[in-house]
Amino acid sequence: MSVSIVHTLRVLRPAAMIALVALTGLVVGFYVNATFFPGTSPEQPINFSHRIHAGENQIPCMYCHVQARRSISAGVPSVNKCMGCHAEVATDSPQIRLLASYFETKEPIPWIKVHDLPDFVHFTHKRHVQADIECQTCHGPVETMDVVSREAPVKMGLCLDCHRKNEVEHGTDCWTCHK
Amino acid sequence: MSNVDRRQFLKLVGAGGVGAGAGFMLAESIKHPVEYLIPYPIPPEEFSPGIATWYNSVCGMCPAGCGISVRTREGRAKKIEGNPLHPVNQGRLCALGQAGLQTLYNPDRLTGPMLQSGERGSEEFIQTTWEESLATVAHRLAAARDGGKNIYLLSEGVRGHLAMLLERFMDGLGSEHLMHYDFAHPHALYAANQRLFGEHTLPYYDIRNTRYLLSFGADYLSNWLSPVHHSLGFGHSRQGTDLDRGRFVQIEAKMSLSGAAADEWIPARPGSEGILALGLAHQILAGGAYTGSDFDDWNAALAGYSAESVAERTGVAAKTIVRLASEFMKAEPGLAIGGGAVDNHSNAVDTLVAVNLLNYLVGNIGKPGGIVFNSDPVVGGPANNRQANFIAMQQLAEQARHGAIDVLIVNNTNPVFTLPHASGFREALASIPMIVSLSSFMDETTTMADVVLPSHSYLESWGDDMPQPGLGFPVAAISQPVVSPLYNTRATGDIILDLAGKLGMKDSMPWDSMEACLKDGWRQIYERSSPDASDFDTFWRDVLVSGVWGEDIHRQDTVVVDKSVIDNIDVAEPEFSGDSEQYPFFLHPYMSTAMYDGRGANLPWMQELPDPMTSIVYGSWVEMNPATAQQLGLRDGDLVSISSEYGSLEAPVVIFPAIMPEVIAMPIGQGHSAFGRYARDRGTNPLQILAPLTATTSGSLATHATRVSLAATGRRAAPVQTGGDTRQLGRNIVQFTGDDSSAGGHSANLNSIPIVVKTT
Repeated sequence: MSVSIVHTLRVLRPAAMIALVALTGLVVGFYVNATFFPGTSPEQPINFSHRIHAGENQIPCMYCHVQARRSISAGVPSVNKCMGCHAEVATDSPQIRLLASYFETKEPIPWIKVHDLPDFVHFTHKRHVQADIECQTCHGPVETMDVVSREAPVKMGLCLDCHRKNEVEHGTDCWTCHK
Repeated sequence: MSNVDRRQFLKLVGAGGVGAGAGFMLAESIKHPVEYLIPYPIPPEEFSPGIATWYNSVCGMCPAGCGISVRTREGRAKKIEGNPLHPVNQGRLCALGQAGLQTLYNPDRLTGPMLQSGERGSEEFIQTTWEESLATVAHRLAAARDGGKNIYLLSEGVRGHLAMLLERFMDGLGSEHLMHYDFAHPHALYAANQRLFGEHTLPYYDIRNTRYLLSFGADYLSNWLSPVHHSLGFGHSRQGTDLDRGRFVQIEAKMSLSGAAADEWIPARPGSEGILALGLAHQILAGGAYTGSDFDDWNAALAGYSAESVAERTGVAAKTIVRLASEFMKAEPGLAIGGGAVDNHSNAVDTLVAVNLLNYLVGNIGKPGGIVFNSDPVVGGPANNRQANFIAMQQLAEQARHGAIDVLIVNNTNPVFTLPHASGFREALASIPMIVSLSSFMDETTTMADVVLPSHSYLESWGDDMPQPGLGFPVAAISQPVVSPLYNTRATGDIILDLAGKLGMKDSMPWDSMEACLKDGWRQIYERSSPDASDFDTFWRDVLVSGVWGEDIHRQDTVVVDKSVIDNIDVAEPEFSGDSEQYPFFLHPYMSTAMYDGRGANLPWMQELPDPMTSIVYGSWVEMNPATAQQLGLRDGDLVSISSEYGSLEAPVVIFPAIMPEVIAMPIGQGHSAFGRYARDRGTNPLQILAPLTATTSGSLATHATRVSLAATGRRAAPVQTGGDTRQLGRNIVQFTGDDSSAGGHSANLNSIPIVVKTT
């Protein structure tokens, strides 16, 4: 008994076409999500603009993120800190009134993290800031952003490239970051 | 592609749509979940996010009094380590101390004051407020005081200013019934030291500087007195000097962790250890190591303890006795200690006097590597002052049964668990009209309480501690809160002070809080110690930062043993409950680092910590010699029933070679009927079937004086064991060297080359 491959293909063609179309749909769907819904600049509870603060007004990063130089976490400024200026500055703006309402009720502002490393990565701000690594290396040009978005690809490649370039001691050891 | 019909077209559209949807969801699913950055509305001043703050304090997990350093972040305790500056533990900490975090964060912590609403023991409680519960208790105490009725306060062994507060509180109530109760308190050791040396505190046993340690049953590396300190000393004696490594000999019926770490393990018939010690003393006298003027008195007193007669009574070979005595007196210096089983036979005091005598005869009293006497603690009296022995606890029960106790206050101690059923303690509690319990957990004793006043954990409260036994010089440390209280609980000291205020005792206890009381008390220590600090506040800060305070004061006294003591030196044969025909085995209940007296059972880390000798986790078991098991036809994991004259319980068999054939051993600590989800209904409690026999003169419970019988149940319940097989299976894991044929014949088949080959 002989089996014709041509005949088999002809029978399978409709199924193959369905699979091909579905696969194309998968790629398109993935691409659409990744391009148009990246989630890298989530909507924040207050429309805080880094462009106004760090760009126009030239406030140094560590004026607000005071912990960065001495703690593993850079620290988000306390509501109290914001009110230090905004008790006087731009008090009529609706967004500042929103801020003031958080302060009056002693509620923390639920900021959404833009830059977030997985739990299996040990990263400390202290070491990097003290080594004079620019904040923008990982965080992108924050001083130009009205809404902060994740622009630099904070993936393992970025860490390793930099560690290699600067010849960091034990910079490519697994345990340096994964501990 | 021209012949796509309508049906086919719809299929393709559907497939494309499903594919696109799946692709979209796939991309969505690999994104980071949304996380928040929550700022402080107003930042705290004490700490910065991400930066650890360490606090020095005192461990509260056992009575050893180690110093701890607690790592906190964002106001939460994260890790406990030993305080490197504290002379007791010098930066080290045992497993139980490490697990202190699980006391703090335990899900079964009591979260607020409660009143018993059901029957006692039913664990039906209703929540109440502090105001109401304290008012109830104060009202009741006032009525009892004014009506001339008896008020009892039964506390865990507390020291320092809390002990002082309890004293004044009970004075204010006109009651003399202040009792401390710790299961593991070495009553017999205190009594023995009193008899031979006239000392009412425990001396410091300088294991660190000894060259030869003769331990009679004391599991000093695991739970005896101050195990972390002893472990440090053990390590130093073994490897910390340029001298030959120290030699360690352990004499006990069942090999403990210390026995396993020793160079030589010698089983002696249960309760005969004191006879062995007197046999060694006899040899030491004969060897001429003792030259005191009362030599003849000693010689006469010990005449009956020749090596041969002692060998017959103890089961230890005569030539081993001669050799041990010779090694001990040649050692520079040697040290003999006694505890564990030896502390818990009916002849315990005699035995421990005999053990101490060895130290006296070789002249190591007051010398490095020997016994160093302690001065009285800086605050309060010796730890033994208020300790209730078994007889006192039975009297308490007796008084209760006669209705002579109106109010019983229990502070963080659990006699219902640690006293045998035969004591009738639990039943006697039913006759007390009012029981108040200060505890962090719903333990067996607290289930019997009418009012539960939940106390802080030690990581949340102020206190101070003077380790006992001390280290030959005065040491004190302050325990400070490292986190804010997690629940609606209060510190024991604060509860007592509040009640004292309500009962009009402000004159003797004028403080508003335990912290104020401590500060006041430590002002006297500041004045006494003439420190470098310019003022008290600086001194207080310095003590809190370093976590410990000490004085360079060492006693220089010599001991002369009274003639009447010499003439009465003797060790009686131990008494046992139960006929040797009907109950052929000696029950050997033992404590472990993890469970201690049962307090570790509610900590998951301690449940998961394998027993060091058998590698078993979670349950209870009974250890027996392979020969015994063979004789009874039992295998590993067979469930047996263990019966004494006073009750029976079931446990699986674990075959353990390092135990005498007539002894069976059971770990203490499991078998809780309450005490939270991790402890409850797990294993069995061997203490419950013990006979109510006491040690002569010390009146403490003779926990090793119960004979038991074994019967197979026909069922099996293999314990959970992390280790594999207990046999070597030809793998040559345990290797021997040396040529001491009397120790059982060693084989020398090492391939490695030893640095020093020493023949003794």
